[in-house]
Parts: sequence; structure tokens; C-alpha cells
Amino acid sequence: MTAAPPTTGVVDTDVHCAPATIAALTPYLEPYWRTYIQDGGVSLSTTQGGAYPPQAPTSATPAARAAGAVPATTVDELRTGLLDPAGLSTAVLNCTTSFHCNRNPYYEAALTRAVNDWLVTEWLDRDDRLRASMVVPTLDTEAAVAEIERIGGHPGFVQVLLPVRADVPWGNKRHHPMLQAAAAHDLVVGLHAWGRIGNAATPTGITHTYLEDYLGNSQLIVQAQVTSLVTEGVFTRVPQLRVVLAECGFSWLPTLLWRFDKDWKGVWREVPWLDGRPSEVVRRHIRLTTSPAHLPRDAAQVRQVLDLLDAAAMLLHASDHPHDHGTGGDRLLAALTGPERERVQSRNAIDWYRLG
Amino acid sequence: MTSTALPAQAGRTASRARHTIVDADIHPHAPAPQIRERLAQRHRERWDMFAGRVPGPPEIYPRVRNSGFRLDSWPPGGFPGSDLQMVRDQLLDEYGIDHGILIPLQGHSWGVEEPGYAAALCHALNDWLADEWLAAEPRLRSSIAIPHEAPDLAAEEIRLRACDPRFVQVLLSTGGELGFGRRRYWPIYEAAAEAGLPVAAHTGGLEQHRGAGWPSFYLEEHVWNGNTMAALIMSMLSEGVFERFPSLQVACVEGGIAWAGPLMWALDDAWEQLRTDVPHLRRPPSEYVREHIWFTTQPIEEPDDPAHLEIALAHIGMDDRIMFASDYPHWDFDSPRQAPRLFPAALRSSIMGSNACRLYGLPEVEPEESR
Amino acid sequence: MKIVVSRLDEFPPGERRIVQAGRRSIGVFRVGDRFYAVNNHCPHQGGPLCLGRTKPWVRSAGPGDYAMAEHDALVACPWHGWEYDLATGQSFLGPGEPPARTYDVSVEAGDATGEPVHGRLPGPYVAETFPVHVEDAYVVVDTSPRAPAAGVSGGAR
Repeated sequence: MTAAPPTTGVVDTDVHCAPATIAALTPYLEPYWRTYIQDGGVSLSTTQGGAYPPQAPTSATPAARAAGAVPATTVDELRTGLLDPAGLSTAVLNCTTSFHCNRNPYYEAALTRAVNDWLVTEWLDRDDRLRASMVVPTLDTEAAVAEIERIGGHPGFVQVLLPVRADVPWGNKRHHPMLQAAAAHDLVVGLHAWGRIGNAATPTGITHTYLEDYLGNSQLIVQAQVTSLVTEGVFTRVPQLRVVLAECGFSWLPTLLWRFDKDWKGVWREVPWLDGRPSEVVRRHIRLTTSPAHLPRDAAQVRQVLDLLDAAAMLLHASDHPHDHGTGGDRLLAALTGPERERVQSRNAIDWYRLG
Repeated sequence: MTSTALPAQAGRTASRARHTIVDADIHPHAPAPQIRERLAQRHRERWDMFAGRVPGPPEIYPRVRNSGFRLDSWPPGGFPGSDLQMVRDQLLDEYGIDHGILIPLQGHSWGVEEPGYAAALCHALNDWLADEWLAAEPRLRSSIAIPHEAPDLAAEEIRLRACDPRFVQVLLSTGGELGFGRRRYWPIYEAAAEAGLPVAAHTGGLEQHRGAGWPSFYLEEHVWNGNTMAALIMSMLSEGVFERFPSLQVACVEGGIAWAGPLMWALDDAWEQLRTDVPHLRRPPSEYVREHIWFTTQPIEEPDDPAHLEIALAHIGMDDRIMFASDYPHWDFDSPRQAPRLFPAALRSSIMGSNACRLYGLPEVEPEESR
Repeated sequence: MKIVVSRLDEFPPGERRIVQAGRRSIGVFRVGDRFYAVNNHCPHQGGPLCLGRTKPWVRSAGPGDYAMAEHDALVACPWHGWEYDLATGQSFLGPGEPPARTYDVSVEAGDATGEPVHGRLPGPYVAETFPVHVEDAYVVVDTSPRAPAAGVSGGAR
């Protein structure tokens, strides 16, 4: 454990790390799965199944790319690349390596266990500025619950990380036991961009361009997940559940809620357990990370968007290191007042993740 | 529950609007026997033997409010939208509508059938529209139903109808087998552009939920409609449709509007970084959106504070491309009398009529005539 | 003005009648032995309110739980499905819905208290309601100006 350098008090709620290769995880895998990996030629995709193409400008900032942290594979890389220079008080690690796992549910369970043990041993035990999201198998609810029971009580884990691209929306009844287990361990449920590589970004199938795939997260799929969580009554059933939407944008939220509230007024009898306006349920239970920040070019319009969203209450700062989503983050920071910035960069995350 | 309603009173007199009113989304419904009788023998055999193989969205997500229709729109023994006189009584005359654009949703599912059969069904539907509605009611115009998953045949149907000025646009759905920007669909756009007809993308068609998986409830599916429209716009932009067909205009019908601002910000941000990926986009994507896309109002987003919608529309900056739509006879019908209150005051007359007149080449009512 | 709606024995439970009172169209509903009269005009977008389906209250303790009351107590507008209490005309949009923005329309007499009813908070609108009486075996609706009142029992006379 090294002494922490001076801190700015900033909490970064979306910092990526990944095992360099599957060899980094083999110490954490049972012998059978080591042979499975060997015989199947199973590897970890360096692009995470195409989510982060090797040379795409969005996959890494120039600085991160120069440092070879695409993303960081060791805690030392992260210290020099982000933690120290940014003076972070806390960083929440997100490892999305298992998101594009093959369809074998037992391998997925083994892989996610290995990722979690790797996170504890190689990261959480080595720098007390770090917290992490645990991952769970997405194909087997019982196994996901068991994994939360096994390791969700570790004080370094603050969140259960789920991909937005999945077989069945996360509000669906079959996922409720997993969401309940997360809440019972006081873990936030984080929905993060990307996921199953077989699940196209659009309702009409795979796209020719990466741009459509990339925006599929923040303009399409995440919205379906929000409507699913609210409509299916997840928050009625698990009232203490807190959700974070990570790397999925945020500027789309107000207009989605205008539509959602309107439709609910007409057809609420279909879902009578939804005991309040969708917009109020979202406000009580969901927060969003700041990167990517897709905002207008005009500063006055940016300010209006933040007001419509109530950004000071709803946003959690995230660098999304090493990813690079362009200049929107600067437009966001420039539009926030001093007190708003303090809430977005620090206080909101401390409260939501119970970091205090 | 029965009711013994007295004969409906004319009641409110249809007060003449001070501006042209165009309803850009009216749904007619062709009674099955009237389509069947217009089919050739071999297609009639298929109709009798297999009926339709493409499930309509309500089979998957039942419309849980009055089956998805105004409860007062069912003609005796018929289906909502099947009786022209009822459409006159409840809509055209009631609200003094000057021009109405028909959107025959049966084409959405029929357009996905086996190509020859799909083309025959859509052709019969267009014949029925021309014979039974357009010939009888000069206030109406129609969209051309097309076999959209057989684009070569769709192009034939478009060229056939293009010489009939009563057909003013080509009908697409948002749900198709592939993204509607794909080259596979370009014959449709080529024929539309050649005829100078806009393409209307109406929500519905093939119901598919990839990405996040299938939702459970109609509430979710209906909220999702705006996103199917966003996916269609992204696909058309990314595949270069508007570079290839620079005159093509696309009307997004029944998908809402307010999401278009956030979509354009995201597109422009992504384009700055990913230009290598989208060589067809020579300018920021929002510029193409503002030059090629139109919106209809129903179901327009309704924030608690109407000023918020005004802000969202100002961010979008496409006030001259928003057209009123009632969506008659669907349950979430917007009344031409009440709905304008949802729109910013300065935009009401252009939204209620003049924008649509410009897109569809329809005459505006003279101001003195309209008093 | 008093309007004779029907002979009582020709107006069985579960039925409704639409009557004309001057320029006003009024729906008279019989639920069990109770009668209700509501202005046939939805304050939301002007739909013919009384042509809509009547509905009982429904509550839910959680996903998949549907607890429906025995008797119809609301009428849902045949257009957008906004629901109004037959007795008071108060609109209810869904559970927990607070009174929201109103359009520039007159809000007619009602007894909205803002308190939850069957777990649902009142919505923005109140449809006009009228007293109904049974007089000499006839169902009579009274459109005279009055203080707000709920539907009265038809069998009590």
C-alpha cells in the first residue's frame, strides 16, 4: 500500500481496467476451466469484441494511448496515468472484460468469479483510493446471486456491473433476485455501455458502421433499460435499489421522461405496481455518469440542457479513462457553477456509492 | 355494458380555423374482402390458405387502452378507419381539416410477406385507397404502400403511382429486416427521389428488439418508438443515403420529436472523432438531419412545463419541418382543437398546416377564405 | 332543469344512458343500485367521456399483483383513457400522480382534496357531475346549479 498523493477530492466513477491477457486470470480459474481455455483457444479480445476498436480515437485518449494504458492492466499504470495526476480521492474501477463472454453459462460464471478475485487481489488490495464494480454472469440468475453472496460483502466492491446489451432487459422479472441480492449488500447496480457481441445495437440488426454501434449504447439501448427497470416495478419491489448508468450519456434523459410520463398516464393499468410518475421514480433511483457528454455546441443551450436534467443532482463525474468521447466533457464542466461542480465531481458519488 | 345514446348531436359547430389545417397521419383500414377481391387468383389462394404470416405489433404488445383505438371510432360491424363517412364526421368535418394524409398501416405487415405476394397486397391496398377514398374525398391524399422488403418491386409500385398526384409520399415502417440505410433499400429511395416524393417512416412494421432484449409491456414498447426512429435516421445517415439522394426528404411519423436534439448532439460529437468510419458523411450529421428530416407531432412529448418543450424544439431548430398529425383513429389521437396548445404559440399555424403544404405541395387556404 | 332519463325498470344495473340537456350531453350510469351523472365531455382533449368503458379501482402490492375492486367506480375516456371518478368527476391518472398542469379550461365543481384515493392521487381535471334521483319509478337527472354532490342511491327511496 503506497501513500496517497495530494487529492483534489474528485471521485471518478468510471475508470477502466482489464487483464492484459487471459493468462492474468488463470491463477483465479479452477483447473477445468484452464483446460477449457487451452482446448478452446479462448482468449480475451483486446477490443472487447469490437467495443473499443484498436486505433479508434474513441478507444483511448492520446495520453492514455502513449502510456499504453488502453485500458490500464496494472495498478501502477493507473497510478501514473490517472490516479496521481488527477489527484483522485476515489476511483471506481469497471472491468468489462467478461461482457462479451461466450454463451457457455458455466464458463461465464467461472470467468466472472476470476475477474472479481483478480480485482480484489491485484487492485483493491493495492491502493486504498480504489473501489470496484464486481461482475456477475448474465445468463444465469442463480449463479449471479451466488456470486454476489460470495464476494459482494467485500468492502472494496460498491457496485454490480451489468452490460446494457443483454438477452433480456434488466427490469425483467427473471432478474429480480439478482437485483435484490445487490441491494441487500448495499451495492449499486451499474449498467454500462456495450455487452453481448451478438446483440446488435439497433432494432434492425447489425450495423455497417462503428458510429451506429457506438451511439447505439447512448441513444438507443440504455433508454430501453431505463424503461424496463421502471415499468417492471423493480423499484417497487426493491425500494432501496440504486442504479448508475455508465458510459451511456445523459442528455437524452429529459425527453425520454416526457414521453414516458405521458404514455404512463394513458396505460398505467397495464402496470399498476408502478406507483408514481416514471420521471419521479428515475429521479429517486437512477444516476448517470458524465462521460460521454453529448451536448449542444452553444453554451447557453448547454446550460438549458443541464437545467432540464437537474444535472447537479443527477450526474456523477467520470473520466471514463482511457476512453475519449471528444469535447463534450469540457462543455459540461464550463457550464457547471462552482457548487454544482462540487456535487457532480464529488458529493453525489460519495452519497450514491456510500463512500463516506 | 350497453348504452342507448341519443342520435349524436352536431353539437359543436366546426369553427373555421384561421389557418390551413393539414392532418399528416390518418389511418384508413381496408376491409379484408375488398382487398381479396382485388387480388389475382394465385394470390387469392395464398390469402385463403395462409392469410398473413407477419405478426403485427399488437399481437406481441396488446394496446391496453381500448385495443389501441378511440372507442368511438368503431363503425357498426367494421374496423376503425374502414368507414370514410365516419372519418369525415369525426375528423375532417368536425375539425375543418383542409388536407389529410392517409397512412395505410396494413402495408407495414403486408410489405414483409413473400415478395410477389407482398407486392400484390400493397398494389391492391393502393388501388383500394384510390378507388374508395381518394376518388370520393378530395380533401384526402395518400401514402403509397410498398413491399419494402422487396425493394425492386417497391420501386415498380412507386413509379406506377407517381403519376397519380393524389399519392404524395412513399410509406416505410421503422421496423424492417435491416437498417433502412442499407443499399438493399436504395431502389425505394431512387424511385421516390425520381418522382419527387418524400418517404414517410411510420413507427411499427416488423417488431424486433435486439440490443437490450424484448420488453414485457406495451408501455415500454410505445416509449421505445422514438428510438426506432432514431435508429432509422442513424442508419440512413451512416450509410450515405442523403449523399446519394440529395433531394430525398424523410418524414418521421408517430415517433415524437424531442429526442432529435440529443441525437444530433451525439451524432455530431461522434462524427468529429469517427470520420474515417463514415466517409459518406462530409458534413456534421445534424446538417443532413436539418435538410432531410421532417417530423409529425403525435405523440409529441409533454413535459410538465410547456416551456420545456419550447426549449427542446429551439435546440432542434427545425420549426419549419414539424407537421400536425392526429393519428386518427388510434387511442392516443390528438385533437386539432386541443393539441395546438401543446405547441409554442409562434409555431402553431406553421405546424398546423403550412409546413405540410410545403412538403406535400398542397394549396394553402387563402386568408380571406378562412374567416 | 330536471331531465327524465328513463323508467327505473328499463334501466338495469351496468347500463348507461346518454341524454341531452340543452347544449349539454350527459351520461347517466347505473352501477349496482347507484346512479351517477357525468358531463359527456372530457376536459383533457374534448373526447365524449361517457362513451368510455367504466372501470373498478385496481391496486397492486408489487409486480404481478392485481387487486381489483368489485364495482366499477371510474369512467375511462374513450380517447386517451384518462380516468374520472364517476361520483366526483375527479381525474386519476395513475398511482401517485399529483395534480399537474392544467390547460386553460374551466375546472368544474368537484371535491378534490389532493389526498390519495385507493393509492392514487388526483389528476389535473374534474369532469362535471350531476345529482341523479329516482322519482316515481323514473330516473331523473338534475342540472340545476348546486353544491357538489356524489351519486345517490337509486334504491333508497
